[in-house]
Amino acid sequence: MPDLSVTLGRLSFKNPILVASGTFGYAREMAGVVDFAKLGGIIPKTVTRQPRIGNPPPRTVETPSGMLNAIGLDNDGIDHFLAHHVPYLRALPTAIIANIAGKTEAEFIEMAAMMGLAEGLEGLELNLSCPNVSGGVDFATDPEVTRRVVAGVRSVCPLPLIAKLTPNVTNIVPIAQAAADAGADAVSLINTFVGMAIDWKRRRPILGNVTGGLSGPAIKPLALRLVWQVARNVRIPIIGIGGISNIDDVMEFLIAGASAVQIGTANFFDPTVSTRIVDQLPSALETLKSGSVVEVVGTLSA
Amino acid sequence: MSPPASFRQVTAQVLANITLARDTFLIRLKALEIAAAIRPGQFVMIRLPGRTDPLLGRPFALYDTVLDERNQPFAIDVVYLVVGKVTGLLAQLRENDTTEIWGPLGNGFPEPLGREHVALVAGGIGQTPFLAHIRELLGQRGYGGDKARRRVERVSLYYGVRTADLAAGVDDFQNAGATVHLASNDGSLGFHGFVTDLLDRHANPEHLYGCGPEPMLHALAQLAHRKGIPCHLSLETPMACGVGICFSCVTPVKTSDGWDYRRVCVDGPIFDAQALHWRE
Repeated sequence: MPDLSVTLGRLSFKNPILVASGTFGYAREMAGVVDFAKLGGIIPKTVTRQPRIGNPPPRTVETPSGMLNAIGLDNDGIDHFLAHHVPYLRALPTAIIANIAGKTEAEFIEMAAMMGLAEGLEGLELNLSCPNVSGGVDFATDPEVTRRVVAGVRSVCPLPLIAKLTPNVTNIVPIAQAAADAGADAVSLINTFVGMAIDWKRRRPILGNVTGGLSGPAIKPLALRLVWQVARNVRIPIIGIGGISNIDDVMEFLIAGASAVQIGTANFFDPTVSTRIVDQLPSALETLKSGSVVEVVGTLSA
Repeated sequence: MSPPASFRQVTAQVLANITLARDTFLIRLKALEIAAAIRPGQFVMIRLPGRTDPLLGRPFALYDTVLDERNQPFAIDVVYLVVGKVTGLLAQLRENDTTEIWGPLGNGFPEPLGREHVALVAGGIGQTPFLAHIRELLGQRGYGGDKARRRVERVSLYYGVRTADLAAGVDDFQNAGATVHLASNDGSLGFHGFVTDLLDRHANPEHLYGCGPEPMLHALAQLAHRKGIPCHLSLETPMACGVGICFSCVTPVKTSDGWDYRRVCVDGPIFDAQALHWRE
């Protein structure tokens, strides 16, 4: 049996298969169909300081081999998360990484301090990149802002940190470098690509929010390229995200340089996909005659 | 709060796929565990496997369970109208093709208040959840492992369509024991006008259940409010997952301090009509 365990900075997972924030609810919705003990980790839906009602429907629309979403960080706020969801999540037999989005740098720091006091969290992912929050700042479009938020959070929160970055930038490398310099344990690459869908007969956008984030198999080649580009240029562990729907996709991201991956949109159209991929991982490693996940990471010949 | 998740994901063989009316089909899917667990008003997600376009599953109400020779459920029937890409491809499936399905999903119809007479009100393709509901109400069939138990004396189905050739399943509803009142927008079938106007002319039932286009549901909610009749509505909203993890399918619901969005897939699809926050 190959060694599936992976270590990213101060984070350790039993295997590299995590489920992405915003695509797995608060885990309890999936309790009937997913054996949580098999997963490397779970990242519940993004939490904000105050409750947010979210965007008006329609919030999602299917596009060729993908979907656009503009949920708008619909959630009940961090107080409710800590009181209601964390007690359930921390009892699950897998790593739980909370995910937060602040409206300001100060709010990120305040929330990170609160999460740092909660028991049973393995780490904290910073959503520096939600494209659907009107009036919000897309923190991870600027290396200096990214550096300040990560460093500020690091100074108040003892949890291992993951910076989740946006692909909607000219060059992602300096932003990943800034996260690394500020002490992030890993970067999650990538959040969704901003896109839109139009009903031309009504001359109207289909989404209530007009624009939304593109995800699903359609974005996999774009995500792979960004993972590969950061892996070659920045010394920081990478968690690959973007259209991963089967074991072949996972292996491609590992080879490109990701030390772990997150399954996102595939949870929507194939609810049991995450654990099925975990089951298939040993034989995929054997195909490469590899005894561990670690030894295949970043082994692209190019 | 969300009910406990207990759905299953299975590859389901197509046992039949037949035409019921214009652009309207009944597909029979072999799915033992889902058929044994599902209740009237619940739904399943159906996806075409092995392709990424279309990518997502689509929600479909249970039409009815299918029983084997020992009266055990082994398959489900789903009735659908061809409206787009997925339903167009579904209509091309043949016996022994497969689909990927997960369910049962959603909350199902609540017990009626009153034992004499309930009315079910359907518009468009909104009749599909009511066959199993009629059978449950009249005690003809048990669902989700429960024994059959008669809940009411009489069930009326008010069913409105745009035009006559879209009416699908009328024989099934009558054979199940419901009194069927038909209406059509163009007068080609039954009452000429809206199904809610037809309902308004008849004696009040003790409980109303509705499924159909939003303007019809809104009219039904207003009628129920005016007459003081308990009313539950089955909503349909665009869903990506059907299981509560994507937060796409929300609808506004009244809260103590205004309104908030609730997920139709896990907090519904059946809602108390007076709990919904209708926007004019």
